[in-house]
Amino acid sequence: MSEPIVEFRHITKKFPGIIANDDVSLTINKGEIFAVLGENGAGKSTLVSMLFGTYEPDGGEILIRGKKERIYSPRYASSLSIGMVHQHFRLVSNFSVAENIILGLEPERKLFGFIPYVDIEKANHDIAELSERYGLKINPEDVIENLNVASCQRVEILKMLYREAEILIFDEPTAVLTPQEIESFLDIVRSLRENGKTIILITHKLAEIKAAADRCAILNRGKLITVLDVESTSADEMARLMVGHDISFRTEKKPAVFGDVILDVQNMSVKSRTGLDAVKDVSFQIHAGEVFAVAGVSGNGQNELADSIAGLCPCSSGKITINGHDITRASVRERIEAGIAYIPEDRHNVGLVLDFTLRDNLPLRQYYTPKFSHKGVISRSSFVEYNRTLEKEYDIRSSQGGATIMRSMSGGNQQKAIIAREIDMQTPLIMFMQPTRGLDIGAVMNVRKQIIAERNRGAAVLLISLDLDEIIDCADTIAVIFNGRINKISPAEKISVDEIGLYMMGVKTA
Amino acid sequence: MKKFTLSCLAIIISLIAGALILWLMGKDPVAAYMNLLQGSGLMQKVKYAGRQNMFTDFMSFIDAMTPMIFASLSVAIALRGGFFNIGVSGQMMIAGFTAHMLSLVVPSRILVIVVGVIAGALVGALIGWMRYRFNVNEVVSSIMLNSTIMYLVTFCINTFYVNPVSRQSKSIIESARLTISGFRWENLKLDIALAFPLAIITAMFLQWLIERTTYGYEMKAVGLSPKAAYYAGMKVNRISLITMTISGALAGLAGVSYFCGYYASIQPGTTPSMGFDAIAVSLLGGNNPIGCIFASFLITIISKGSVYMSSRQNIEPEIASLITAFILTFAACSAFLSRKGRK
Amino acid sequence: MIDMIIIDGLSFALPLFIMAVGGIYSEKSGITNLALEGFQGFGAFTGSVAVVYLTGIFGSTSNVPYYAGFIFAVIGGGLFALIHALLCIKFKADQVISGVVMNILAMAMTSFMTKSINASFFGNSANKFMLGASARITVPYLSDIPLAGAIFRDIYPFEILIVLLAVIMWYVLYKTKFGMRLRACGDNPHSVDAAGVNVYAVRTMAVFISGCLSGIAGMSFAYSISANFSPDIYLGYGYLSIAALIFGNWSILPSLAACLIFGFARSGGSAVINELGLPSSYNDLVRILPYVLTMLLLVFFSRHNHSPRALGHIYDKGQR
Repeated sequence: MSEPIVEFRHITKKFPGIIANDDVSLTINKGEIFAVLGENGAGKSTLVSMLFGTYEPDGGEILIRGKKERIYSPRYASSLSIGMVHQHFRLVSNFSVAENIILGLEPERKLFGFIPYVDIEKANHDIAELSERYGLKINPEDVIENLNVASCQRVEILKMLYREAEILIFDEPTAVLTPQEIESFLDIVRSLRENGKTIILITHKLAEIKAAADRCAILNRGKLITVLDVESTSADEMARLMVGHDISFRTEKKPAVFGDVILDVQNMSVKSRTGLDAVKDVSFQIHAGEVFAVAGVSGNGQNELADSIAGLCPCSSGKITINGHDITRASVRERIEAGIAYIPEDRHNVGLVLDFTLRDNLPLRQYYTPKFSHKGVISRSSFVEYNRTLEKEYDIRSSQGGATIMRSMSGGNQQKAIIAREIDMQTPLIMFMQPTRGLDIGAVMNVRKQIIAERNRGAAVLLISLDLDEIIDCADTIAVIFNGRINKISPAEKISVDEIGLYMMGVKTA
Repeated sequence: MKKFTLSCLAIIISLIAGALILWLMGKDPVAAYMNLLQGSGLMQKVKYAGRQNMFTDFMSFIDAMTPMIFASLSVAIALRGGFFNIGVSGQMMIAGFTAHMLSLVVPSRILVIVVGVIAGALVGALIGWMRYRFNVNEVVSSIMLNSTIMYLVTFCINTFYVNPVSRQSKSIIESARLTISGFRWENLKLDIALAFPLAIITAMFLQWLIERTTYGYEMKAVGLSPKAAYYAGMKVNRISLITMTISGALAGLAGVSYFCGYYASIQPGTTPSMGFDAIAVSLLGGNNPIGCIFASFLITIISKGSVYMSSRQNIEPEIASLITAFILTFAACSAFLSRKGRK
Repeated sequence: MIDMIIIDGLSFALPLFIMAVGGIYSEKSGITNLALEGFQGFGAFTGSVAVVYLTGIFGSTSNVPYYAGFIFAVIGGGLFALIHALLCIKFKADQVISGVVMNILAMAMTSFMTKSINASFFGNSANKFMLGASARITVPYLSDIPLAGAIFRDIYPFEILIVLLAVIMWYVLYKTKFGMRLRACGDNPHSVDAAGVNVYAVRTMAVFISGCLSGIAGMSFAYSISANFSPDIYLGYGYLSIAALIFGNWSILPSLAACLIFGFARSGGSAVINELGLPSSYNDLVRILPYVLTMLLLVFFSRHNHSPRALGHIYDKGQR
């Protein structure tokens, strides 16, 4: 029955300093859902990128439908009817769904028989039909910027189908979806298989693989560990193979001991940049020694919530107090001094001055204090000293020590630098916004340990994350935000994942 | 250090390009470039007029270079703080004109400098304020102000301050002029640029300000990443405003040392090209105050020496601005090379 | 008087407008374009050289030099624009700096070459090429309509050309696949790349077009306002058209409105000076009007504007 459609033979790919893929050979059959499992940095994205033509292998060969191919560009890959949905969607935000889908393959007609124009009506019609056929429920005339993440993903799927792709690659497709959205995504994937498509799923989530995949390849540090039949293998077994040794998925955590209320937010509303209400009438309290985690789908007001507590954007009404001091109208600096540390989501543009050196970035929020300057004159030696201390204490690695330009450092080390800087201020409140996005699994575990350590020290911790695993792992209290409102606040042990999902979608409200 | 190498590379390529043009026009590039040095008082000319020698040429070279240092510092400071001030020309002009007006009432050199600084600073501040308050791109507003100031000053000069013979503004009174012209020393007649020491001190002060003070740290942070600066608790708007005010003040200094010093009068109907050349100088100097001194030195050789070169070689003096434009073009590309080198 | 305001206003506003359309092309594709000023100057230079040369061949009564001048202005402006494209796209220079550099380069090159050409071919040392003012056309019947008839009276031929071109450029930008890809480049170049379209090629083409259109504008200014080509062509009209397109929110029709406001402010001011019998030096005061107006408009409108999302960002294929 199984007819091979993609074959990797002895694929090797090297990048400066690392071997991303080391002699990987595997075969994918037509009409199956094939999962590629591995930690961040295991080489799974690199492997499929070579199938899609983003990279070319340094050694080995790729066979498509039994024929040896040199896939030198994504364009060539698509002529072999290979399509890919990237983690970051490639959509034009101010275009309609149909315009996005036909981009590059526009149907044309001629005005008066000789002036060409794009036949958008035909496109709308074709795409509506395609959407119907696969049950994707997408209106071709909607504009992308008004769609949510799950719909954008479907637009990406339609884009591949419109190009008549037979081999569909998904890179971490469920990372930003709610449990319910994941369900319907997996339904779509299954219906694609029914229609004879071959699906390659890159992921590190075992539950999805168990739910949908037929076979699964496990990569670890660039090497293919094994290819297994999903049905006959347990999730634990797969996890063990993925990390190479037994690990507990849970971060060790003593029971919480709540102290006084540190942060008290009362009836806070925040307007977004476009003037809409992004956060609506939100109230909550965080105690010393508590991890208060906010779950929610991206773009439901999390950014505005964190930013307005940190003072980066004003709140339109309500009251914020910290340790009993009213800071509702305080400036960013006054809030830092009142005791708010903040690890922002956007480490490149907000958390760091990328073109500063590591040494200059570490005192970014304290440079004016007597520790680093005197009467407006900076003490270089204190910068050097501080850099040396933090580098050692938090294991920040860089090529040229304190003189390294931040931009040239790896994402993991950039994040370490921010966390080191913020934790070192030893503030009563510390806010983590998406602290582990884009980090590899080792670094992720490390950050989560630091979050717990801060709580154990007696700090109030606000954790905002799109990753439900992370929230479940760290939280003492879970809040769910939907459309700017906190719909539910519950002790972590009293709420199930499914329930969180329903609140995240706004299906359930408190 | 890398920046220094790249700047040198930009200069060398441009000089080669210039040489090629000279050669194509049937001139001798080596002789022409030597003329540049001779015109700037850095090499012995074949012969000199009475009361002149290489030293007097060098002194007038310094006189021409002084406003250029100020102008390039103005561009450099703005760029470090995240602004692209291409309004230096206009700021120079308004500063020069107000100082001229004031010298009619109170002829005092100190006052000329003070008024120039204030006039320039006000225009700079206006540009900074419009950007943060109304989100008006500083490049566009600078250009609009350049034209506005140019026409305004032109109108004023032509209606009540014109020298009917030269069709320029009247010359500034000698006791308020920032250049002592024709100063007798031994048997020579020297032009002494009184503002030159100020230019050097200013550059050194700015270097210290940028590298060693909390304000400098804030300015650089705002320039490189305003969002991060805001997150760090800096008053981004205030810092931007201060940066543009300083930049405008420096342009004002350039204006008075040019219009009330080196040139002594104002030509209506055109903006001083120095405001634009200063961009080349600043980029060449790596937007570093001390670097600006050296880059000004170099560009002034080209602009000042070109007068002598064009008369000796019988070519258009416009070749000077052409070579400067080449340097600017290559310097713009070198920004890319340095960025690439860092990755 | 009203007639004069309309006639002069249009002849200033329309070249400004076609240049703004060029700017929209470039910026919609994601390349900041402050170089319009240089493009129009360089285009006017090549056009003027062609006119002066061809007038020598065809004589001053022929229409050939006039139209050839515009064709060469288009070519010259376009080719010069390719330098900006090269710097911004290939060398990944800062687009704002590159734009300003282009203006300085255009000015330096054209003044140098004008003098050199005059010296070596025509044996004079002038820094300008004399063109004479363009002929004017009056559309019969339509021009007899009271008040609005002035729109059809004493029009320069290039005004008709510009209106036609603007319609075509609008169609290309919003109706054809090239225009669609161009607009996509300004929002998310990665999506264009993923669709198998070469982002660099689209952007280069966009900048080239902006140069061509600016060339027409430059030539129009040379034929109307100054009646010659000299370095005086660099009066900041390029920047004025950028202000117009920002104020027009990167859309063609609103930008036309902005250009018309500038044009009528200018011609209206001149008319008032004339009417009051003031000396001609007062015209300098009037010339301030469009610039001050621009600043005021920008102050009021900059807040609400949405520039193309990828504008000014250097696109690197390898990066995500």
